[in-house]
Amino acid sequence: MAIAVFFVAAAMAVIGGIGVISFHQPVRSVLSLVVVMLALSVLFLLLSAQFIFAVQIIVYAGAVMVLFLFVITLLGPARELGRGRLRFQTWLSALFLLVLLGLMWAMLQGVQYRQPDSGVNLSFFGTVQSIAVGLFTTYLYPFELTSILLLVAAIGAIYLSRKRIDDPEGGPAEEGLRPASGMGGNLPPPE
Amino acid sequence: MNQIYNDPIGHWVVVVVAMALLLFVVLTATAYTVWFERVALGRIQRRPGPNRVGPFGLMQLAADGIKLAFKESFVPAKTDKIIYVLAPTIGVAAAFLAWTVIPIGLWYNVQYWIADVNVGILVIFAVSSLNVYAIVLGGYASNNKYSLLGGLRSAAQLISYEMALGLSLVPTFMIAGSLRLRDIVEYTVTWGPYHGPIPLILLTPIGFVIYLIAATAETNRTPFDLPEAEQELIGGFLTEYSGLKFTMYYLAEYLNVITVSALATLLFFGGWYLWIVPPIFAFLLKVILFLFLYIWLRGTFPRLRYDMLMRLGWKVLLPLAMANVIVTATILVAVQG
Repeated sequence: MAIAVFFVAAAMAVIGGIGVISFHQPVRSVLSLVVVMLALSVLFLLLSAQFIFAVQIIVYAGAVMVLFLFVITLLGPARELGRGRLRFQTWLSALFLLVLLGLMWAMLQGVQYRQPDSGVNLSFFGTVQSIAVGLFTTYLYPFELTSILLLVAAIGAIYLSRKRIDDPEGGPAEEGLRPASGMGGNLPPPE
Repeated sequence: MNQIYNDPIGHWVVVVVAMALLLFVVLTATAYTVWFERVALGRIQRRPGPNRVGPFGLMQLAADGIKLAFKESFVPAKTDKIIYVLAPTIGVAAAFLAWTVIPIGLWYNVQYWIADVNVGILVIFAVSSLNVYAIVLGGYASNNKYSLLGGLRSAAQLISYEMALGLSLVPTFMIAGSLRLRDIVEYTVTWGPYHGPIPLILLTPIGFVIYLIAATAETNRTPFDLPEAEQELIGGFLTEYSGLKFTMYYLAEYLNVITVSALATLLFFGGWYLWIVPPIFAFLLKVILFLFLYIWLRGTFPRLRYDMLMRLGWKVLLPLAMANVIVTATILVAVQG
């Protein structure tokens, strides 16, 4: 049963990933990425990481991707144009694909599909309590340092986007207040 | 019952039957919530409300459903048709998924719910966080300025109030020591002669108030129904939707109202425990009282302005919820040593 769920979720993740790079409308790409996130959360659940499963959906599918969608809908439904290709794009991509496959083959040598270690208590492993114990004891300093990093990033973003008082033009913040050029009018005809 | 449940095939049969039953019950409940709201709102506004179709207007929803099903299924020109159709579907699916983990009651050792997950409340947050897609995508795919504005307002509103909503429940988890809804309902205390379950609102009254406000905002109900503010935005993201797709949006909205009422019952009002009342009836009674509270709010409060909404969410509810967590944690450490 678990293996069937794994293959369905894995296939969904791969199809979603292909969708992200092959759709021409940005909104569909975002939705494909949401599918990837949901499939990944199912994979986490299969590894008995219940807390990560829920957080993966809440944070990535429920918040991060919504902000992506927010920006894309504000920019308007403009279609990505098929220009600006590199000169040897096809050959380069084939080369990188070969290198990637070679690396994956090298990594996967000797990895077997296995059961969880017998010493692991599955009624505690991956629960909110076990994650909390890890975060607030062993990994307390890295955890707190990460939160400071996030705070710095947030303050930096506010500083960069705020209105300059000494700037008579109003600074970069004005830019965001103007209505987006393509808002709700210039969608191309569907295929 | 336990024997069937422990058998691998019997387990699946029970789960599938339970899901079908739940679908039927929740759909019916949604329909009658709409009826209840129309009647109650009518009385609040001193008019009779629906009273023509069937006894007490009880068949009004069936009539409305048939009318909506026969309406033209309109799709705006020059739009992404797949996303336009997908948007209301996401809303209904997300609204239904939450009910897989909501416990309805425990009666003679039979559990009336589908899955007893030990991160139950997180699962509900996870699926309800997908609701915002229905509204944003609906607004985007309608190819209409008002719809887009409604969708964007909604995205900002839902993300802002999700934080306060989540934080308002943290004291409850800390007191009960679990995220499993059943453990929270069955949290027992020994106060002098009394030993048994208590409604947790007695221990976290501030958490309940924040939850009530944030949950109203999350379900886009008045006074927080800015995404569909009719005076400014015609119908917000709903403007271009008609027929069954419109019905699906409405279904999702009312399902979410029932879900937050059920959660308030479970987390703050002792779930299915109520003196000598049988468990499931106690649960239903409490949920109906909460539904009435939501309808009452809709009947009495004017809509907030957008800047007031944001100020309330970020400058009042969020710091209050944070302070509530810290104070509760301090008291818990002091009491438990």
